[in-house]
Amino acid sequence: MTESLTQPRPETAGTGVVRPTTVAEAAQVLSGSTGSVLFRGGATQLDWAGRVPDPDLVVDTTDLSGVLTHNPGDMTASVRAGTTLIALQDQLAGAGQWLALDPPTASAGATVGGLLATGDSGPSRLRYGGIRDLVIGVTIVLADGTVARSGGHVIKNVAGYDLAKLVHGSLGSLALVAEVVVRLHPLPERSVTFTGDADAAQATAAALALAASPLEPAAVEWASAADAGRLLVRVDGTEASVDAAGRSLTELLAGLGVTLTALSAPDATSAWQAHAAAVVGSDDETVVRVAGLPSDLADLAGSAQDAARVADLRVVVVSSAALGMHTVRLSGGSPTGHAQALTQLRGRALERGASVLLRRRSPELDGLVEALGPPPSSADLLRRIKAEFDPTGRCAPGRFSPWF
Amino acid sequence: MEDRGTVTVLTPTDQPGPAPETPTHLSPPTAGAALADQLRAQLAPDRIITDLTRLRTYECDGITGYRVVPALVALPESTDEVALVVAACARAGVPYVARGAGTGLSGGALPVADGVVISLARMRRVLDVDLVNQRMTVEPGVTNSDITKAVAAHDLYFAPDPSSQTVCTIGGNIAENSGGAHCMKYGFTTNHVHAMTLVLPDASVVTVGGDGAEQVGPDLRGAVIGSEGTLAIATSVTVRLLRKPEAVRTLVADFASAEAAGEAVSGIIAAGIIPAAVEMLDALAIEACEAAVHAGYSLDTAAALVVELDGPTAECDEGFARVEEICLEAGATHLRFAADPDERMLIWKGRKAAFAAMGRISPDYFVQDGVIPRTRLGEVLARMQVMADDAGLRVANVFHAGDGNLHPLVLYDAAVPGESERGEHLSTAIAELCVEMGGSITGEHGVGTDKACSMPKMFSEDDLAVMKRLRAAFDPDGISNPGKIFPTPRLCGERPGPYRVHPLEAAGLIERM
Repeated sequence: MTESLTQPRPETAGTGVVRPTTVAEAAQVLSGSTGSVLFRGGATQLDWAGRVPDPDLVVDTTDLSGVLTHNPGDMTASVRAGTTLIALQDQLAGAGQWLALDPPTASAGATVGGLLATGDSGPSRLRYGGIRDLVIGVTIVLADGTVARSGGHVIKNVAGYDLAKLVHGSLGSLALVAEVVVRLHPLPERSVTFTGDADAAQATAAALALAASPLEPAAVEWASAADAGRLLVRVDGTEASVDAAGRSLTELLAGLGVTLTALSAPDATSAWQAHAAAVVGSDDETVVRVAGLPSDLADLAGSAQDAARVADLRVVVVSSAALGMHTVRLSGGSPTGHAQALTQLRGRALERGASVLLRRRSPELDGLVEALGPPPSSADLLRRIKAEFDPTGRCAPGRFSPWF
Repeated sequence: MEDRGTVTVLTPTDQPGPAPETPTHLSPPTAGAALADQLRAQLAPDRIITDLTRLRTYECDGITGYRVVPALVALPESTDEVALVVAACARAGVPYVARGAGTGLSGGALPVADGVVISLARMRRVLDVDLVNQRMTVEPGVTNSDITKAVAAHDLYFAPDPSSQTVCTIGGNIAENSGGAHCMKYGFTTNHVHAMTLVLPDASVVTVGGDGAEQVGPDLRGAVIGSEGTLAIATSVTVRLLRKPEAVRTLVADFASAEAAGEAVSGIIAAGIIPAAVEMLDALAIEACEAAVHAGYSLDTAAALVVELDGPTAECDEGFARVEEICLEAGATHLRFAADPDERMLIWKGRKAAFAAMGRISPDYFVQDGVIPRTRLGEVLARMQVMADDAGLRVANVFHAGDGNLHPLVLYDAAVPGESERGEHLSTAIAELCVEMGGSITGEHGVGTDKACSMPKMFSEDDLAVMKRLRAAFDPDGISNPGKIFPTPRLCGERPGPYRVHPLEAAGLIERM
């Protein structure tokens, strides 16, 4: 990839990379160029869904960064899209606040704009919502350089269409996310993480019991392991409330045969780091994200294990148990085996009403299996939206192929 | 709070307010008559209304200053029937307006002349309740309160709580992205919907969202929620239910000035507490509320705060003790604690009566719905006072103080020449002041017909043009609720009428905040 270009030169063969520093520059780059374009932030989630083959231009948002405003009293902040989540959190922490997101790619440099484009989230989604629930305003740049803003800087606002929702999950196929306004939360005074061994059935029961209780845990996660699996439960609150909640949830889960123990702060940090790494996976793996009903955890985890066994692959399942979101990582075996397992798992998950997104796979898989499953009922509508926002089809062509 | 939806029980004699500005048809125009015949053949004949007296039931929503009699009203009872009506409209090139309970406060359900109103009032079935996964699928005509009622015995509830919730429908909540007094902590309708079945303007039926918390591709569910009926009609909705909080604590704190009350709110936020609700009333608003409801608010105070915390008991109690300290530090002159659920309900009844109660202290008034960054409250109050003095009018204030959503009530007397115009001008100027302060022209009532002309104050031409691209993708012919949200020369030449008490409100069936 040529990294030296500062202006788009679509006539040049190969990929040019531009790094605008302002929204106006980004608009100029897009209005002054033609050809396919890939928007890139921290490059931590570029493999999701269909591949974008050899774009003519990469708009890299690395330099489109910086916190524009932070109003602690209003609990809002606005950032340029290329601001990494880590940099934002560092700045907010000074005021005792955070953007209540903990996606697994944060440590690798995921940007706020990239996270909106992918819709990725982490364990804390259970208590604080996902990025779709935390973004209150957005500025986007369309393929033709048109700059548009929706929402604003106030949490409560129903004026106009919510374009942030439209680009959420669009994986760069509709427009460049250029600036983002978010609502913030106070950093919890104290967080305590509990862990305990649990198989998929116990994890399902535990997640449902916690959801039915008034305990309001911040995170309920599960990861499979050779000897069944392990739960991670986090409680956020004040000194006193965390202790009270900890006692209640330990008692509640003991009734389900799960023995929880509290982790020390350093152990909790390492446990969550390892958990995030287990969601991200590695280049030689096939990583599939499945989201369904929370009560289907054991069923979906079982389907993943069945699919892996048939194709003679190793499998790890990592679940946001109370949210019904699962990351399935397949490794070992042959590309054909991965394709077979993916097809089988996807079929089973779709039958259960779950959504399925292929997040990573080796290039050898590309000819063997479709990146996306069958098109949704909204595929025609998505095509019309694509045609309105990106009539020449230059934004991330192939990303949602063959849906749109 | 937003009041949404439709009223099918109104009769013309129930309707207060000025005479219709739009000429009403003595008989439906030809296109409407042909469409009516066609739909009568497809739906049961009694579910197509063309009688003028009955049509006038649908001529306005909760903002009664705008009135248009539609050509016909259809009352479908299923997704297929909605699609059938939409298909007939699409073929005939006739615009349609979906309607829930007709309680909206921005003219979002205002009919289009010669157009069709699609009332979802007969689609009231609960389709599925999944207690284990805490969700429920309902038809759009189910009221907001009935969702919670259906699962209350299981300690679950639907979080958005617009004050018209006993009447307004989930379909209307989706159109307006309704919030409620508790949305600072719990968010809006968009944060509480898993999936929807939609009928698009080309009559196709699609599902957006799904069982899972994540979906593949753009968030169409989020794009449609809050689009005020201009993109699609939701014909089934799967909502997310929450576990009832273990504890709820409510207090009322009196302050010698609105600024001091504002300081207390800032102190609460700075302490890292997210209240379930923080509401502020000024002296004029308290006077009106007490005259109407006798909820026990102090009549001799300049401002009162209602602060409510909820959550796990330990967390809630600890936070509540801190809130008490902060209020006293900010100079609270009196604190009242809700001793039990009944007293809590009474406090809320007083607060929620604010709009309707204004009739006790003023013959006429406009309701405003602006949002400001909360930290600019003092500045905005001072500016509003100067503006009110300049206009020679009184302004009563009720706020969702936690999230900066202001509901200034501009009081005037239509019998005094020139006051209506001054009042209307002042109300619009206040909304636009909110934009100048970095806020919004509407926090929950929607843009609808009422505020379309203020949209250019908040958004650039390009912003609006890009939003229209989204509309074009859903509705290329512009037949789904045309004339709403986006300014048009025709609309922006017309003047809104004054706020009037909605008949259901007068009857005590709905409340507004």
